[in-house]
Amino acid sequence: MKPLNLMAVAIALCAMTVANAATIEMDVNGLVCAFCAQGIEKKLRAYPATSDVVVSLEEHLVAVSTKDGQDIADDELRRALTDAGYTVNGIRRADEPLDAVRKRLGEAKH
Amino acid sequence: MSRLLRALRGACAALALIFAASVEAKPIAFANGTTVMGEYGAGTMLEAQAFYAPTYWLSAGGGAVRFDSDITDRTRDIAYVRVNYLAKRWNLPAAQANVFVWGGLGSATGNTFDGSRLARNVGVQADYETRRIYASIKSDLWESPEFSQRVDTMQLGIAPYEHDYSTLATWFVVQARDYTGQIRHGVEWAALVRLFKGGAWVEAGLTADGKPQVMAMFNF
Repeated sequence: MKPLNLMAVAIALCAMTVANAATIEMDVNGLVCAFCAQGIEKKLRAYPATSDVVVSLEEHLVAVSTKDGQDIADDELRRALTDAGYTVNGIRRADEPLDAVRKRLGEAKH
Repeated sequence: MSRLLRALRGACAALALIFAASVEAKPIAFANGTTVMGEYGAGTMLEAQAFYAPTYWLSAGGGAVRFDSDITDRTRDIAYVRVNYLAKRWNLPAAQANVFVWGGLGSATGNTFDGSRLARNVGVQADYETRRIYASIKSDLWESPEFSQRVDTMQLGIAPYEHDYSTLATWFVVQARDYTGQIRHGVEWAALVRLFKGGAWVEAGLTADGKPQVMAMFNF
């Protein structure tokens, strides 16, 4: 394979990786203390597909990013948070990377 | 000299209030979590507990409590096992409310009777919490053939700012506690400062009599 073609394949693979990385946001009731967040984070990080977790008490939000090419079904996420003792009001898939969500939540405080 | 001692006592009280931390003593923190707690109230009680919660609504474990009255000189030591149950939870958009109940059995000794006695324990706690307001009432009853005593506690807390998961939470708490069973006469009032971050929680302060109260809790 020519070097140019190899580069094109590499770029395509990178693009696929970005495209496959998913961020899932959940609106959650009952998030009022660090222990709430700690329990939820522990629960979600136990999933093999989980890459990172962000919990915002301010925004009543739990966000999960999944590993490349992997996903966690909405029902599974809803069950995880219900089993942790909280109420899920909504689940949505976001294009935003989790770091951007983290940054946005940080900025929202100011 | 007495002025110096009073000043020193005042400084210690201020430091205790500034640096102390408190435990929002929920008997169940989160599913698959272990909770270790310790509480000390000068002239009344000393307690250590450890619980494991397989779910968010149930935990089991054990502990030891020593009631040590500096008024009646009565001491009671109880080593116990206990099950905690979350009877009801309300998850609101910016608040949470809970009702916990628990029951346990222990072995009690004391300086007003010989040997050990089987002791039974039941309790209930209701709490309401936002990120700015915290309120709880708790009643904990111990009964044995030699004594019956109840500890009723009410806490009201205010946070000067709204914390988040990654920031330190600070609470100013007023506590009223009533002991039956000749441990103390009258309601014991205390002012506490509670700090927590992540899985660590510390609470400390002074009673109206100037006696220190400290509590610590760790969840992991």
